[in-house]
Amino acid sequence: MTGGQLAARLTGTGRLADDLYLMAHHDLTGRPYLQPRAAGLGLAGALLAELMLAGQIKAGPRRVVVAGRTPPADGLARLVLRQLAGEQHTTGEWLAFLARTAAGNVAIRLGEAGYLTRVPARRPWRGPRWVPADPDCAFAPFTRARAALDPSRPPAVTGAALAGLAAACGLGPRLLACAPPGRRRPEDAAGGLPPGLRDLIAQTGAAVDSAVLARRT
Amino acid sequence: MMFRPPRTRTPAAGQRPGSVSRALARDRLGVPAVLFFVLAGVAPLTVAAGVIPTAYQATGLTGIPAAFLVVAVILALFATGYMAMSRRITHSGAFYAFVARGLGRPAGVAAALVALVAYTFLQVGLYGALGPAAAAEAAAHLGIHEQWWVWALAAWAVITVLGQLRVDITGKVLGVLLSAEIVVVLTETVLGLAHPAGGHLSFATLSPADLGSAGFGTFGVLAVVAVLGFVGFEFGAGLSEEARDPRRTIPAATYIALGVIAVVYAGASWAMAAHAGAGHVVAAAGQQGPGLLFGLGGSGGLSQAAQLLFLTSLFAAALAFHNVVWRYVFALGRENVLPAALGRTGGNNIPKAASLTQSATGLAVIVLYAAGGWAPMTHLFFWLGTTGGFGILVLLALTSAAVIAFFARDPRGENAWRRLIAPGTAAILLTGIVVLAVLHYATLLGVSPGDPAAWALPASYPVVAVIGLGWGLILRIRRPQVYAAIGLGAHAVTGQLTPATASEAA
Repeated sequence: MTGGQLAARLTGTGRLADDLYLMAHHDLTGRPYLQPRAAGLGLAGALLAELMLAGQIKAGPRRVVVAGRTPPADGLARLVLRQLAGEQHTTGEWLAFLARTAAGNVAIRLGEAGYLTRVPARRPWRGPRWVPADPDCAFAPFTRARAALDPSRPPAVTGAALAGLAAACGLGPRLLACAPPGRRRPEDAAGGLPPGLRDLIAQTGAAVDSAVLARRT
Repeated sequence: MMFRPPRTRTPAAGQRPGSVSRALARDRLGVPAVLFFVLAGVAPLTVAAGVIPTAYQATGLTGIPAAFLVVAVILALFATGYMAMSRRITHSGAFYAFVARGLGRPAGVAAALVALVAYTFLQVGLYGALGPAAAAEAAAHLGIHEQWWVWALAAWAVITVLGQLRVDITGKVLGVLLSAEIVVVLTETVLGLAHPAGGHLSFATLSPADLGSAGFGTFGVLAVVAVLGFVGFEFGAGLSEEARDPRRTIPAATYIALGVIAVVYAGASWAMAAHAGAGHVVAAAGQQGPGLLFGLGGSGGLSQAAQLLFLTSLFAAALAFHNVVWRYVFALGRENVLPAALGRTGGNNIPKAASLTQSATGLAVIVLYAAGGWAPMTHLFFWLGTTGGFGILVLLALTSAAVIAFFARDPRGENAWRRLIAPGTAAILLTGIVVLAVLHYATLLGVSPGDPAAWALPASYPVVAVIGLGWGLILRIRRPQVYAAIGLGAHAVTGQLTPATASEAA
């Protein structure tokens, strides 16, 4: 598959995991900035956060509860929701489970939305890789996350969640490198979010920390 | 906007509900993987060729083979309680977290600093063996004649770069190297035992009676050498979060590691004494150094291969301990016990500051020894190595006490053997060894009793322990939030229980 049926737009898809994926990869080459496990966990957190923002799931004590009645339009969201409904696990276990496939799944979704293109690898023994179809659109999520750090305006919920998730999976230094003066810290921006979302971001951060300390990446 | 579902291209799409636990289990570590991680830190050839001959030479004692066997039993007793506690508490710095939860947070901070100093000694000490071994190989095979510290600095540079790239030697490479190391040590052992001095194989050095041959106190000295050999066996506990079945995988790997190490080291040191003759092994060790092991099977291809593997073993151990130290630094920075900057990662999840801190220490020590003209093998490798081993011994005693205290408050699910009798016996024995070792530290280092090194090196631990206790108390007053999270690890931010307790509660 090459290219998408839809053209990329600067405003993005409006989905957290899509924005986080683009932030976690180079806007021209598509090269990942993060270690695979950290990126996977961050995207897993973002997929759950998408469902939480859409009211499809609610945060319970140490777990998430399916709350939505109408199935989401997006295929990946439907898949995740079906998995969540099928089994009982802690949020941490769900993050670890979704992290295994999150990057691949989100890339496919971004490909279908026209944001990523699949190109053959430079080295013949490697599989094809995803590169941004439009570098401007690939960089735009950074601007959205940065806006949440601007102290002169109240952070939007999605922007704050995006900044929080980006910091949680290790993109904090990249985010702060081009942040406005007197900026909020990403943790503070996420502090104003609803408790369930805030807890999810904290758990994502804890899982990434554990992965950094783990013996393998 | 219309989005099509990912269909079956999605890797997870084909999995039915019910497969989550199985999918997670597949990603986790089994007994062989954990065993390899544990043995990587243990570095069998580093100990067999580096520590044992130097220990014969420095201490002048011949009871080393018996000491490995006796210490293995004591460590198995220790591991009983240690493993029980690791089911409750998951932390990459196990000693620190266990002591904090068992004996209180200030004691935990003290234990953390003791562990940091001990592992740092062990790591930088390895450069003292790596340098001369590489210099000898390069002189013999490449015709390059450089000082030991040139090679030590080269190894340091490679480890610094690998640390900045966050490279752990992968399981497969490690597995091949470790297996080769163990095969080489066992082969040399068998060949050495087949040709004993005087044509008669003596079992005397294996007998526990030999431990006190030069007075009861020498057991403390021998035990420190043996503990130094076993350092690394404790790493399994830090892997419980990644293990397939923490209740079974980690203890199985730990006990197998203890058994394998005990047999390999006792065998190798026995073979060296038998081959040279118990009366001559100390002198032979002084002349030959690591060659005492490599010469057991003659000077042919096996000896050449063993010397090359000795280098890779030292390098793997230096990298493994580098990674242990930065993990401790990073975890402590994360919990704000050390400056928070040490607990941050760069934009690619690499804990640069923590890793660079250890690199800086390594550079300073190599430069210091090179400038001072001190002997790398005895003064750097053996002195700092044994002092590191002594620090681990102190932590083992402290952790045993912490295990008892922890389970005294919350004995759920553990029988009296695991929560009281085994750790209690281990605590008494380990404390006894610590006392004997302190009294005979000069013998351990091979110096005269009044030598400053004999008190200055072990004194580094009470110094950092007092600093740790003080810092812990300051945190309690000044930063109660940081104090409350001491020893909780990554789960502190979420206020979550460890996976084991979470499933128990469910």
